[in-house]
Amino acid sequence: MPPKQIDLLQGTLDLLILKAVSLGKLHGYGVLLRIQQISGEQLIIQQGSLYPALYRLEASGAISSEWGESENNRRAKYYSLTAAGRKQFNAETARWNQMAGIMATILNVTAEEI
Amino acid sequence: MAAFTRLRSWLHSILHRRQLENDMADEVRFHIEARADDLERNGFTRPEAIRQARLEFGNVAVHQDGMRASLGLRWLDDIVADLHYAARILRHSPGFSMVAIASLTLAIGANTAIFSLANEALIERLNVPNPKQLRLFSIHNSHNSVVNSTWGSWGIGDDGSTRIDVFSYPIFRALQQRNSVMQPIFGFKNLGRGNLSTNNTATAGQVEMVSGNYYAQLQVQPSLGRAIRESDDSLSAPNVALLSDGYWTRVWNRDPSAIGRTITINSVPFTIIGINPRGFTGAKSVQVSSDVFVPLAAVAVLRSPTRKGESWLSTPDNWWVQVMARTQPGVADATAQAALNTVLAGAVQDTMHPHKDQTVPTLNIEDGSRGLNQIRRVLAKPLYILLGMTALLLLIACANLANLMLARAATRQREMGIRMALGAGRARVMRQVLTENLLLALLGGIAGLVVGRLGSTVLPKLTMNAWEDTQLNIPFHWPIFLFTAAITMLTGVLFSMAPALQATRSDVNSALKDTGRSSTRRSRGFNGKILVGFQITLCTLLVGSAALFFQTLWKLNHIDPGFNPDHLVLFDILPPARRYPAPQDIVLHHRLEQAIAAVPGVDTVSTTDVALIADNMNVTGFQVEGQAPRPAGDTASIMGGDMSNNSRFSNVGNDYFHTMGIPIVAGRAFNDHDTETSKRVGIVNRALVQQFFPNTNPIGKRFRTGDGKDEANRWIEIVGIAADIRYSGLRDDPPPLFFIPYRQQTDAGLLTYNVRSSVPPATLVPMLRSVVAQVDANLPLIDVRTQWEQIDASLQQEHLFASLTAGFGVLALLLAIVGIYGMMSYRVTQRTQEMGVRLALGATRTQVRSKAMREALWTGLGGVLAGGFATALLLRVIKSTLYGAGAANALPITASAFLLLLVTLVSAWLPCTRIARLEPVDALRHE
Repeated sequence: MPPKQIDLLQGTLDLLILKAVSLGKLHGYGVLLRIQQISGEQLIIQQGSLYPALYRLEASGAISSEWGESENNRRAKYYSLTAAGRKQFNAETARWNQMAGIMATILNVTAEEI
Repeated sequence: MAAFTRLRSWLHSILHRRQLENDMADEVRFHIEARADDLERNGFTRPEAIRQARLEFGNVAVHQDGMRASLGLRWLDDIVADLHYAARILRHSPGFSMVAIASLTLAIGANTAIFSLANEALIERLNVPNPKQLRLFSIHNSHNSVVNSTWGSWGIGDDGSTRIDVFSYPIFRALQQRNSVMQPIFGFKNLGRGNLSTNNTATAGQVEMVSGNYYAQLQVQPSLGRAIRESDDSLSAPNVALLSDGYWTRVWNRDPSAIGRTITINSVPFTIIGINPRGFTGAKSVQVSSDVFVPLAAVAVLRSPTRKGESWLSTPDNWWVQVMARTQPGVADATAQAALNTVLAGAVQDTMHPHKDQTVPTLNIEDGSRGLNQIRRVLAKPLYILLGMTALLLLIACANLANLMLARAATRQREMGIRMALGAGRARVMRQVLTENLLLALLGGIAGLVVGRLGSTVLPKLTMNAWEDTQLNIPFHWPIFLFTAAITMLTGVLFSMAPALQATRSDVNSALKDTGRSSTRRSRGFNGKILVGFQITLCTLLVGSAALFFQTLWKLNHIDPGFNPDHLVLFDILPPARRYPAPQDIVLHHRLEQAIAAVPGVDTVSTTDVALIADNMNVTGFQVEGQAPRPAGDTASIMGGDMSNNSRFSNVGNDYFHTMGIPIVAGRAFNDHDTETSKRVGIVNRALVQQFFPNTNPIGKRFRTGDGKDEANRWIEIVGIAADIRYSGLRDDPPPLFFIPYRQQTDAGLLTYNVRSSVPPATLVPMLRSVVAQVDANLPLIDVRTQWEQIDASLQQEHLFASLTAGFGVLALLLAIVGIYGMMSYRVTQRTQEMGVRLALGATRTQVRSKAMREALWTGLGGVLAGGFATALLLRVIKSTLYGAGAANALPITASAFLLLLVTLVSAWLPCTRIARLEPVDALRHE
């Protein structure tokens, strides 16, 4: 039985996209596959909602795009991380880790430790 | 940085919109196809794979909308859609749109134009650094003042004292030298029109004489050359002059080589040393600059000496210099005024040696930031009235707009209900209403801008006479344009949003149901009736005042002036004092009279020193031989209307009565036997006979002018009695008046020629010019005009009022008609079903119609009564600008009230008739 899938946390889609794109140039469908692959198929992403997020990141300059040929010779739009995007990705990763650490500490507290 | 990136991406998206849409579609298609490929590999058939891929992707349109929103395109798209929709709505109701736009245009345009003019005349300050520091000196003259002889403007104060803004030259110098409370005092004086000639161009132009420290104190640098200095302002210094920027442009075509060249002013050569900066108008006026500026000392060569033969620079008796200074930091005006009053009193003692029964004037320090502010004195009252009227117009336009918006909002309630039912958010619906308004406001604003700009170029022309080419330009006043535009826009928005808010607040169901099916409508708070009533009130007020001004104009136009103003051409000749020292100027005028009389087509010609109906007058004491000399009234008593010892008079040519068509009722007119050497004679009018010779025959009696103390004044024998004429203005009753031949005086100076000829002026004037040129080629004809033009110019203010208020009145009427029609149609539509029920229950059509008409009648009656009352109140304010008094004014007010009532009924008639024609069944079904 496959692991139970969970819905995406609010605000994490941008970070996931940045992570996926940071590993190499990808088209929209590729981003989806990459996220599903590295999450071990545990995350549900509404496929269509990926695109507004991609456009938003591109408009803010975090990723850039260019048209190219796909593996099966179709015209596809490829996204890659910009320098500004890498900075943003690093900052958000750090923030995420910090938050996760704090949350873990809080949630692991037992009655004896107080 | 991020904002910049976003902006660039946004701009790119807008500019490449089509490309972007294609790319978006391609990208989505690729995604679905790629997914379908994968699914197919997992065992789906192709159609199934495609279907599944689409399902997983979700709603394509929604996600594409999300992509557009990500790029910041969403709101733009909405606005474009809103605008399209708004434009369609406006196009579908052209009547509504036209009226709304017209209201806006009218309000914005008229207010901008009138306020620009008012701003220039009442608010704008001199174009010099720190104008607020400037103070103008004036004196208050009480009865028996030592100051009797002035060359300058005077007015009467509230306390009956006279305000004079000039000083004698010795006193100006004394003030300058003994001043320690203000910055250096400077003086100036407008010489009036002089004959200017430079660069082979001879014109008449205004000459300003200024003290040596004038430029330094005003802190103004010439744009070219140098300013007048202290050393220039003396009798021994060479003659120098600066040109105004405008005159330099007109005559020298902005040629810098004008510096160092010569300009002759009244035949006296002056060296041009500089050009005034553009926009500098001097200390005299905010609006108009003199053409040439020369030192004050030049008065000695430019103007013939005083009547007593004294130099203007030394006479203690004649007061003529205008005086200003800047404030000194730390010295209050009251302190400065007290200190300078001491100086003035001392200087008057020293120079004039007053008798003990004579009073010494007191000095006043006034705001000088607007110069002498003459235009304010002339235009302030008319402008305030006009401003009031345009404000009314603004109110009417706003009321109209409000009315229209309310009526429309009510009819669109259902539409809004439907839109909300289909899922539009309340904000979205409100935004649609707002967009419509802004579109209207934009169209109205553009039209208003055009009208306003047009108005501010045309208006100044209405305040000027036909023959003077005054360079008065009124700058367009942007703040007031924005202000009125904002006010009208706000009105529109407020009155359309309020009902829209109400409509959208109610839940969808009731909005859809509520279609006026209830036979007794609850009133929806604010209804159009009050607005229309208000509109009728304002309209009555405007039409009423237009009628009042028209009555005044009509009455003035039908006054018999006592002389025949037809076929009379007027022009002035000013013999330069240097070439024609008295009495040579008299000889010249006589020669010109004879030469012009010989021109073919000229019936008669005669000169006078006071053109009729031109707001000019001569006043002097009148002493009858054999009666005790009576003190001549001083300026204060004359201005106050006390003419008991004074008479107005004119120096005229021998053919004057024949030329002007003034009947001689007894005795004789002047003739060729009345010469420089013959017995001194005069002709008096009937009004003078009544005042000074009651019940006696004055012919053969003798009189003397002045205050009777001056024994040098010779006796003048009365040889004839002339009929009464209007003298300086049409409004004043014919005053006591006498005429004396100019040839029997010591000097003549500027005289006005009256030429009677049936030849049209266009043909006549060139002939006159060549005849004058044959006598002296350097004598221009100044201010060529017909007597009718002269009279019209004196009625300019009346014309301005009548035409503007009439224009406003007509526009307001149009707005009101549309407003009333709109309101009645709306109310009738709303009540169609009620009317249907009544008809079905047996009411006759006449009953139904008259019920609707009654409502219009009451609204109209209320508005008209309030308007009539308001006009009666306004009458108190504008009384002084009207001619003819009391009961006569009731007629125009009543007439306009009836007109408005009639207009109300007529505009209501159509909608009311429409309802009466309804078949009951249709009316009941009507929705």
